[in-house]
Amino acid sequence: MESSRLKISVIIKLEPDFSEGNVSYNSDGTLNRAETKSILGPHSAVASMAALHAKVMHGADVSVGTMGPPIAEQALQQSQLLCDADELHLYSDRIFAGADTLATAEVLRTGIDKMHDGEKSDIVFSGHRASDGETGQTGPQTAWKLGYPFFGNVIDFSVDVENRLARVTRLVPIQGLYDVIEEIEAPLPIFITIHPSYKPTFTTVSQRLSFFKCQKEARDRAALYKNYLKTFTAQTLGVDPKLVGLPGSPTIVYRVEKIPRAKTSRMAEIIEGSNQDQIRAVAKKITDMIKVKEI
Amino acid sequence: MAPTPDSKMSNEKYRHLYVVIEHEEGNLLPVNFEMLGEARRLMDGFNVRYSAEEKVVAVLLGSEMRSQCDKLISYGADAVIYAENPELKYHRNLVYTKVISQIANDKDCSNKISARYSEEFKRPRFMFFSADDTGRHLSATVLAELESGLASDINKLVIDDIELKHEHKTKGQLEKYFKTLEMYRPDFSGFLWTTILCLDNRHPNNRREYHPQACSIIPGVFQPIESDNNRKGVIVDFKVTLNTDDLSIKILNRKVVKSPIDYDSHKAIVSFGRGINESPEENIALIDSLKRELGAEVGISLPISKKPYNISNSKLSAYITPERVIGTSGRKVAPTLYIAVGISGAMQHIAGMKESEFVIAINPDTDSPIRDECDIFIKGRLEDVLPVLIEELRQQKAMVEVRN
Repeated sequence: MESSRLKISVIIKLEPDFSEGNVSYNSDGTLNRAETKSILGPHSAVASMAALHAKVMHGADVSVGTMGPPIAEQALQQSQLLCDADELHLYSDRIFAGADTLATAEVLRTGIDKMHDGEKSDIVFSGHRASDGETGQTGPQTAWKLGYPFFGNVIDFSVDVENRLARVTRLVPIQGLYDVIEEIEAPLPIFITIHPSYKPTFTTVSQRLSFFKCQKEARDRAALYKNYLKTFTAQTLGVDPKLVGLPGSPTIVYRVEKIPRAKTSRMAEIIEGSNQDQIRAVAKKITDMIKVKEI
Repeated sequence: MAPTPDSKMSNEKYRHLYVVIEHEEGNLLPVNFEMLGEARRLMDGFNVRYSAEEKVVAVLLGSEMRSQCDKLISYGADAVIYAENPELKYHRNLVYTKVISQIANDKDCSNKISARYSEEFKRPRFMFFSADDTGRHLSATVLAELESGLASDINKLVIDDIELKHEHKTKGQLEKYFKTLEMYRPDFSGFLWTTILCLDNRHPNNRREYHPQACSIIPGVFQPIESDNNRKGVIVDFKVTLNTDDLSIKILNRKVVKSPIDYDSHKAIVSFGRGINESPEENIALIDSLKRELGAEVGISLPISKKPYNISNSKLSAYITPERVIGTSGRKVAPTLYIAVGISGAMQHIAGMKESEFVIAINPDTDSPIRDECDIFIKGRLEDVLPVLIEELRQQKAMVEVRN
């Protein structure tokens, strides 16, 4: 039945490429943004893979959206290659620039409402956090503005399409003390951020065949991604300009400074790495330290 | 300094500092006492400078946890707003967000905390959450509901009056914002500090009030105050009303698991950072040898977790996972011996390893911050130092075996 077909949406981000040869750091250890290339963020890639998983398992229409400069359409293309999207949305307008997470979420929720010909999405996926901003706030704030229950740190999920129920598994680290694995049942629609450790698995032959078919379709589509791309400005998206960009951001960046060095907490003995006698003394110290504790 | 006579200011509808308490199956997590400690220090200053009537208010949601309210008071809360309900035993983002937002908007609660502001109270002035995953998500949804600003992963806080000109906030005019929370956030590199402010829009074309000023606080950064059982405080019971639709989200199963990477059971941890970059595969192989020699576990710095290198050997690439990050965005460790190889010592990394008993750093640059955080600093390239060190360790071991 066509009307019960799942509608999956994904929000993604173009981020600095932290891989070797592409990333550039200043001599003080900070990121050199001008020299660093941009790609689909790794967490966005994982979210895209989760969308493909849903499509292979249940059959689904997949839409991908991002807010960013025109070049962000490259990230949409890279995401389409992973999730075989039928629709790509770019929300691009100079007035969106400088938005904090709340103002970004306003654009994204408006965009998501326009996906799938204006029909409600059943599941929205986003990445765990961006590699550059690292706040992890945009996903949950977009979810809240959409009115969707939010589930973070999701490592697995399944959908009972007929009964419109989802089952999600979350991996929740408890402040570095231990982890909790939580299994939850929730009626659709839901908003999920995918944990970086998520790995989609296709166990049966028919799932794998469907996966390969989608992959091939994704390659064909991504080669012609512009045919799937819709670009929206603030006006065509229909957002209130007072709620987006800098005017819609409650927070501002007031100051950026180098972090001063902390007080010296230990007095280091400095050893020349080329001095073998001194290295031998360190090795002895290490051996004693580990050995003594073993007794 | 005399209290500022600013009772007509718009933000005077906003009072108190609310600290959202996090628990796991009824156990209060350490971060709560750290948040309360910092809240206490900030509000002690605030009470002297501005108003003695604004309080540190802990917000606790749970089931059969009322007895824990006293503990929150002993650690610095002036008041605890406690929401008791069996449905609040476990954290669920939707239900927790709604209850916390109700509490933030509740005049009666504020009235019981300080009758003086009962008329004008609209919402908290400041709000703190924990910057673990649960708190980060919760703070995001609560502040989306309250439509105010949020800064995440904060490690320094100051309350002050600020003068600034801002194109959108003040239409370029110099304006003074009283009692502003300066929220310091280290960036992902650990070398830059960004101060974030949450400010009302005073631009005549776009006036808007943004309160509370909220942030999430990195666990392990702030010191709790010494607990004092004689501290007095008010406990306010908040009557919870839940929407039955929201309860259709069901937790079916919950289990505690040990992380597959168990730092606690190893005496030594060998961590590496961007110093491996000249030949990552060979250098990680060296670290792997050192690890085996010491029976150690392996950690990494945050930049390494972004998978910057193509490493063909799958065993070695297994080290490059977010679960191995030592620092504020990962694990906190305290082994007998911590060896930092090619790690410069960004503040966030230091926070995760500074409790180690003995620290050895291997780094060519004696100016790198790790020098101030180690007991032995071996100056040299890891490519040169590690082979020698590993060989010496083997000889030491052989000697020990001969002696035995």
